[in-house]
Order: sequence, then C-alpha cells, then structure tokens
Amino acid sequence: MKSMIQMIAVLGLLCGLAGFSLSYLKMSTATQIESQVLTFVQGPAILEVFKGAENSPIEDRKAFTLKDGRKVNVFPAKKGGKLYGVAIEAFGKGYGGDIGVAVGFNVHQDTLAGIGMTTMKETAGIGTRLSEPDFLNQFPDKKLPVKLKADGGEIDAISGATVSSVGAMLAVSNAVAIYQEIKPLLLETWK
Amino acid sequence: MQRFIQELTKGLWREIPPFRVMLGLCPVLAVTKNAENGLGMGIAVLFVLVLSNAIISAVRNFIPKKVRIACFITISATLVVAVELLMQAYVYPLYLQLGIFVPLIVVNCIILGRAEAFASKNPVHLAIADGIGMGLGFTMSLTFLGAIRELLGAGTLFGKFIMWEGFEPFTIMVEAPGAFICLGLILALMNFMTHWQIKRRNESTPFVLLHASQMPSCGGACPGCSSGQNKG
Repeated sequence: MKSMIQMIAVLGLLCGLAGFSLSYLKMSTATQIESQVLTFVQGPAILEVFKGAENSPIEDRKAFTLKDGRKVNVFPAKKGGKLYGVAIEAFGKGYGGDIGVAVGFNVHQDTLAGIGMTTMKETAGIGTRLSEPDFLNQFPDKKLPVKLKADGGEIDAISGATVSSVGAMLAVSNAVAIYQEIKPLLLETWK
Repeated sequence: MQRFIQELTKGLWREIPPFRVMLGLCPVLAVTKNAENGLGMGIAVLFVLVLSNAIISAVRNFIPKKVRIACFITISATLVVAVELLMQAYVYPLYLQLGIFVPLIVVNCIILGRAEAFASKNPVHLAIADGIGMGLGFTMSLTFLGAIRELLGAGTLFGKFIMWEGFEPFTIMVEAPGAFICLGLILALMNFMTHWQIKRRNESTPFVLLHASQMPSCGGACPGCSSGQNKG
C-alpha cells in the first residue's frame, strides 16, 4: 500500500512539474514562434507579390477582427510612406487539405496585385503546379471578383488538377471577401 | 576523473550509437539527406540526452522501481517538447526540414536506453559525461552520414557545391535506399577496421586472441581483457 502511494505521488509530481514548465515555455515562446512562422511560411509569398514595397510587410502586420469574430493578419505594402497594397492570407479546401494563399490587393485600383501559395499538401507534380508561374501570373491586375473560366471568369484552371485549382480559387475568393469587408478600416489605419 | 573521461569518450568510437550499438537508427536513416539536417538532429538529441541523463540521475533514488519507465518517458518527453518549441522559435527552417522526427526523439532508443542502462545507476557527473559522449557520437555519425549522402547525391556539402564541374549526382543517395546502402557500407568498413586492429594486436601478443575476439567492442583495453591477459 505504501509503495502504491509512493508511485502515485512521484509520478503525479513529475507530470505536474512537466506540465507546468511546458506551459510556461509555450507561453514565453508564442510570439517568437508566430513571427517565425510568418517569416518563413507567409513571408516569401507576400514578398514575392509586393516586390516594390519599401517597408517590411511582415513586421508592419496588424490583426483585424471580422464581423463573424475571426481574426486575420493583414500585411501592408508601402512606397514613399504611403500604402499602396495589402496582402491577406486565406484558405480553401484542396485535394490534400487546406490550401493557404496569400493574396495581394492594389488598394487604389481595387485589383489584385498577385497571389502566392503559403501552405499546401497537394499531390506532387499535379496539384503543386499551383505554385508555378503559369498559374500565378494570371492574377496580377485582375479586377475583383476573380473567377475560373469554367465559372465565367478569366482564370485558366490547371488541367488535371481541377480540385486544387478550385481550392485555390476558393481561397482567393475568401481573401477578396475579407478585403472588401475591412477595406475602409485598412485605409483608415495606414492612410 | 579518469572514469569521467572514460564515460565521455566511449560514445565517440567504441560505443558510437548508430554504428556500433545500432541504436536510434530511425532518424539516422530518415533525416540524413544532407549534412545540415544530420547536424541539427544530432544537436537536438544531444541536448535532450544530456539533460534527461542529468535529471534522471539526480532523481534516481526517489523513483520507485515499478514506475521507472513511465518516469523516464515523462522526463524525456518534456525535454523533447521543450526542444520542439525552441526549434520553432529560433531555427524554424530546420524545424520544417526535420518535421515529425523532432517529436519522435521521445521514443528514440538512445534516450531511454541510456536512462535505463546508465543514468539510473550512476551519479550525476558520470551520467552527464555519458550523455555528452553518446550525444556527440550520435551527432558525428549523423553529420558524417549526411555529408556522404549529400556529397554523392547532390554534389554539395552544407549547401555549397564542391564537386568538380560536370559531376553527375547519384540521386539514389538522397533517397531512402541511399541511406541503407550508405549505412551498410560504413558498418562494413568499421567492422573491417576492428577486425584488422584485433588481428594486428594478436600478432604481437597471441594470448589475447580469445578474449579480444569475444569482446571486440572493448578494443582489448578494458579491465576484463587485461585480467584475461594475465591468466593467459
């Protein structure tokens, strides 16, 4: 009986200490991890879209709350101190899970500045052609809203990868919806 | 002090984990596509191994025998999650490369093996020496294997192209089968060297033959061999 209690006490104490120290570490690294994820996952796609930006869109990001309670990070691109574009990341269901797309907007013309893939688990060589120039280069300067040709729009889907193309377009449409909802707020924030 | 150094150095050659005692082969085969990944994985294991050895050795007298494995796993799992968080926070690209193999350090046999076989029976300073030695040996092996595979499979070393111009990479070396081929060749080479050493030593002192060949891993230098030598 005594050994039983000892076992429970030791193991319980050990687990408690482990849980306590890990939750402390998790809290203290949370902001650092977030900025690392933004730099290495979203960062390359956003910088590709806004090559001419003179600020750092990643560092100047701001979180906005949507009407339905979701939070989105918005990445501003500035030239000569003035805002000319914003990037928003949104998701759409692809063939192998969610496809993350960073969508850039030109705030003055209300057109797309371009898109870049952030995360995807599409089939290698088929769905992954989403991140090739053939697909991506169709987007810059397109008027909102953008649609696939099959839906009466101007964007060519990737042949053989319909699900992936539709998923990416869904992500783009989600980003467009977010952009249109918070655009007044964005212009006020960065001017 | 002599014991400390002995425990420190045994992991570097005589008991080098993946090549000699065949422990922790899963990450050895999986992440050594290039030298950098091998080095990163090795350092992560080194960190976990030293700390888990030290902590387990420090609390070894409080842990009831029946739940010791659960306690060891709790300690090493905590350390591994800590490493995972720190890697995400400071070396995110490496974390993306190593992926699932970072959390899998928990079930790496080296960690539990050293805890059970060494740290739970020895004082803290020796356990730390053992952890450092084994961890460094593991890091060296992974970096070495990664370097060979990267060199043959891509012509680069730590990302820099160093082979001659027109070098055609053996793509198989950076794929999974390349890991097995490479590991097999390294083991064959190490066994050959060990046998050659024993044979050479035996030519000068013929009486060690029996003992040394029974215990090739000690290299004939341990107390067991020297006492056998006297008898012989």
